[in-house]
Amino acid sequence: MTSRTVSSHNEARLRPVLTRRSLRMTAMLGIAALALTACGSTADTAARQDAASGEPVEGGTLVYAEVTPINNWQTQAARFYEKSNVLNSVLDRLTYFDPEQGELVPWIASEFSANPEATEFTFTIRPGVTFSDGTPLDAEAVKLNLDALGLGIEAAQIQPNVDFAGYASAEVIGEDQVKVTLSSPNANFLRATSSVTAGLVSPATLELDAAGQSAISRISGSGPFVFESEKPDEEVVLAKRAEYAWAPETAANQGDAYLDKVVVKYLPEVAHRAGAVQSGQVDLVRGLQPLDEKTLAGSGNQVLPAEGVDLTANMAAVRIGSGKLADEEVRRALQIGIDRQSIKDTVLSDSYELAASVLNHKAPGFTDLSDELEYQPEEARKLLDAAGWKVGADGIRAKGGVKLEVTVTSSNNSVVIKPAFELIEQQWREIGVKLNNRAGDNTFLATAMPDPNVEFFGTRQFIYGGLGPIFEPANNTMTHTSDPELNAIFAAERAAAPGPERDALLAEEQQALVLDKAYSLVLWDEVQVYGAHSGTHVEFTSGTAPVFQGAWKTGG
Amino acid sequence: MARYLAQRIGQALLVVWLAYTFVFLAVQLLPSDPVTIFLTVDSAVDQAAIDTMKSQYGYDQPLPVQYVHQLLGLFSGDFGYSLASGESVSDRISGVAGSTMVLAGSAFVSAVLIAVLLVAAATLTRSGAARRFLVNLPPLFSAVPVFWLGLVLLELLSIRWGVMSLFPDGSFLSLAVPVLVLAVVVSAPMAQVLLKSMAHVYEQPFIDVLRAKGASRSWIFFRHALKNAAGPALTITGITVGTLLAGSVITETVFARSGLGSVVLQAVTTQDVPLVQGLVLLTATVFVVVNLVVDLLYPLLDPRILKSNRQGSARALAA
Repeated sequence: MTSRTVSSHNEARLRPVLTRRSLRMTAMLGIAALALTACGSTADTAARQDAASGEPVEGGTLVYAEVTPINNWQTQAARFYEKSNVLNSVLDRLTYFDPEQGELVPWIASEFSANPEATEFTFTIRPGVTFSDGTPLDAEAVKLNLDALGLGIEAAQIQPNVDFAGYASAEVIGEDQVKVTLSSPNANFLRATSSVTAGLVSPATLELDAAGQSAISRISGSGPFVFESEKPDEEVVLAKRAEYAWAPETAANQGDAYLDKVVVKYLPEVAHRAGAVQSGQVDLVRGLQPLDEKTLAGSGNQVLPAEGVDLTANMAAVRIGSGKLADEEVRRALQIGIDRQSIKDTVLSDSYELAASVLNHKAPGFTDLSDELEYQPEEARKLLDAAGWKVGADGIRAKGGVKLEVTVTSSNNSVVIKPAFELIEQQWREIGVKLNNRAGDNTFLATAMPDPNVEFFGTRQFIYGGLGPIFEPANNTMTHTSDPELNAIFAAERAAAPGPERDALLAEEQQALVLDKAYSLVLWDEVQVYGAHSGTHVEFTSGTAPVFQGAWKTGG
Repeated sequence: MARYLAQRIGQALLVVWLAYTFVFLAVQLLPSDPVTIFLTVDSAVDQAAIDTMKSQYGYDQPLPVQYVHQLLGLFSGDFGYSLASGESVSDRISGVAGSTMVLAGSAFVSAVLIAVLLVAAATLTRSGAARRFLVNLPPLFSAVPVFWLGLVLLELLSIRWGVMSLFPDGSFLSLAVPVLVLAVVVSAPMAQVLLKSMAHVYEQPFIDVLRAKGASRSWIFFRHALKNAAGPALTITGITVGTLLAGSVITETVFARSGLGSVVLQAVTTQDVPLVQGLVLLTATVFVVVNLVVDLLYPLLDPRILKSNRQGSARALAA
C-alpha cells in the first residue's frame, strides 16, 4: 500500500581495481561519516507528548513530508497512504468513523439508516454544503458520486470501488435524501462510505477524463482544504477553505481549519525523516523507522503512532497452492511457531501493538485471540510430527520426499516487514521449517503476488468493505483460495444487522481465519508512525491519515 | 562525410528499433499482461474489470497488431498511456524530463571539468606525492556509492549545519550539491581513461620534439597532448550516459527532486508497464543519440577516420 523506499541501489558501473591507498581513504571516510551520524543521536528518554494538548492557534503553514510522490489522485484509487493522507483533507465523505466511539458518525450525511436486510441504505444530506468550485453538494451530487463509486466511470476508464460490491443503483428521494439499493446484502456498505476512497467530488470532476480525474489540480471536493499549487513530484500546496463548516459530528473543530496552508513534500529517503523534523524543516513526517523513534523523542519532538483501525493486522497470508500448507494443522503449527514478543522486542518499538486477531484491537467486532497465539514451539513440533512432516538430517522437515521449505513475498512498503520475517525465519528453523525470505523484494512480488505456489504474502489491507472482499474471491491475492465454509460466514456476516448476531459472526470469521483454518498468520496491528515537531498538534483518522482540519502549530 | 553520417544515423535508428522490439517482447514474457499485473498490485480484482481495461488500452488485440500499432504510435510521438494516472506516457515523461536534464547536464559538464582538471593537475604537477594522490582519486570516486555520498552531505549540510534544505527549494546549493554528487561518480571513468591515454601520448616521440622546441609544459598538455588523448575518453564519455541516468535516479530520490528518477521509481513500484516501456525506450534513445554524437565528433578530433573509414566504427581506429 504505502511505498517507503530505502535507497540501497549501488549502481553497477565501471569498477576499477582499488589501490590500497584509495581503499584506506574510503574506509576512513566511511568511519568519519558513521561517527558524524552517531553523534547527535544521544537519546535520553523516549518522552512522548500529548499532541492534542493546549489551546488551538490560528494561522500558519504546516509542512508535511510524505513518503513518495504520486500522480494519481483519483478517488477510488486512494487505497494508498500517500493519497489518502492528503485527500482526507480535500474530500469529505458521507460518514466518518470515530475511533474513540468506535462507530460511524454523521458527516455529509446528517442521518443514515439501513433496512434490516442490509440491501437498502438511506442518507439524508446535510444542507448548505458546497464543493470548492461553488457547486452545491446536494442529494443529486451524492447520487452521481455513488453511481461513479458503485458502477465505475466507463468513459474515464475508472473501475468501481471494490468496497461497493453489489451496488445496484441510487435514487434521490424528496429534497435531500438518497437511497442506495444493493443487489445483495452488505452490512459493511455504510462503513465503506467513510473511506477516503469514497470521497465526494464535484459533478464537474466526475465528467473529466482519466488523466483529469487523476490530477489533484483539477479535483474539486468539499473538504477543509483546497488545492492551491503543485510542483510535480515535489510539492503540493493546500490552502484552507474559509467557509468550511461541515466537519464530522464528533470533530473538536466544527469550523474552518486553524492552519492557513498545508505544504505536502516528499522524503523518499527514510534516513532523513527524523532529521527533517529535528532540524525543523518539516512539522510532520510519516514513516519513521523504529530506530529513529528514541532519538526523535529524546530531542524534545514527538513520536505519534497512528493506529490503523481500518486495516487488517500485518500478517502473512497463507496460500496453499504448493500443497505444503494444505493441511490446516501445519498452518496452525506455523501460527504458534512465531514468537511475536521477540519480534516486537527486536525489530519493532513501543509504537507497535502485537496482533491478537486479524482485526485491529479497536476495530468493531474485534475478538481477542492472544491466548491462542502464544509462542509454543513444542506444541508446533508435535503438530508437524502428527501431520507426517518428519525432521530430516539437515534439520528441515520432509514428507514424501518434499521438504517443508516455504517462501514469503511482500512489497518494500513497510520498513519493518523484512527484518520481522528474518526473525520468523530463525524461529521456524527451530521447529524444522525453512523460510525463504523474499520480503521487501518488489521484483519478486510482481510474479509472486499472482502465484498461489508462493506460500506467504506479507501484507495488511484496508477493510472498509469487511474481511470478505479480500479473502473471498477465488482469485484473491491473500490466499488464492475460495473456502466455501469461510465464504458462508462472510455472506452471513454481510447480511446480519448490526448487533450481537453480527458480532458473533465477526468473531467466527476471526476464529476461522486465524485459528481453525489459520489462513492468516497475524503479526502486529497496523500502525503508521509519524514524527512531529514539538510545536505540532495533530490527530489521526482510523485510516492513519492526519486530520489537518483540526491541527495547529505553536511556536512559529 | 555524407556517407559516414548516413551510416551512423542508420545504425542509430536500427538500434532504437531493436530496443523497441526487445522491450515489446520482454513485456510478453511477463507472467501476465500489463493490465492484470497493474491491477493485482493491491488486492483481488474482478476479471470483468481487467477485461474492460485491457480492451480500453488495446491489450486484448493479437500480438502482431499490438506490435505494429505501438510502433506506428511511436513515430507520431504516442507512447501509450500510463496505467496509474491515465496520463499519456509522453506527457508524464516530458513533464519531468527537464529537471533531470538540468541535473544530468550540469553533472556531465562538471564531471568533464573535474576529469580534465584532475588529469591536468596530475600531469603537470612536479610533486610526486601530489601526483600519486591525484591519480588515486578516480578509483575512490567510482568506489563511493552515489546514495551514500548524497546522504552524508545532506546529513551534514542540511540536518546538522542547516545551510541547505532537504527539499529542492530552488537555492544554489539545492542544485549544486546533487550535481556534485553525481559529477564525482561520473567523472571517475573519464579521468581514469584520460590518465591512461595521456600517459600513452606522453610516450610518443612528438612530445619530445615539442619539448626540444622549448614548448612549456602546459602548452604541450593543453594544445597537443589533450587533443590526442581525448579519443578514448570521449568513447567512455558516451558510455557514462548510463551511469548518469542511473545516478540521476538515485540522486533524485535522495534529494527528493522531481525528475525521471522518481517516475522510474513510481512506474516500477506501481508496475505501470507502459510507463516502464516508455522509460526504457527513452533511455535507449538517449544512449544511441549520445553515442551518435560521439561518433560524429570523432572525425573532428581525428580527420584520418573519414579518410580510412569504409566500414565499422570509428572507434576501432581511435582506440
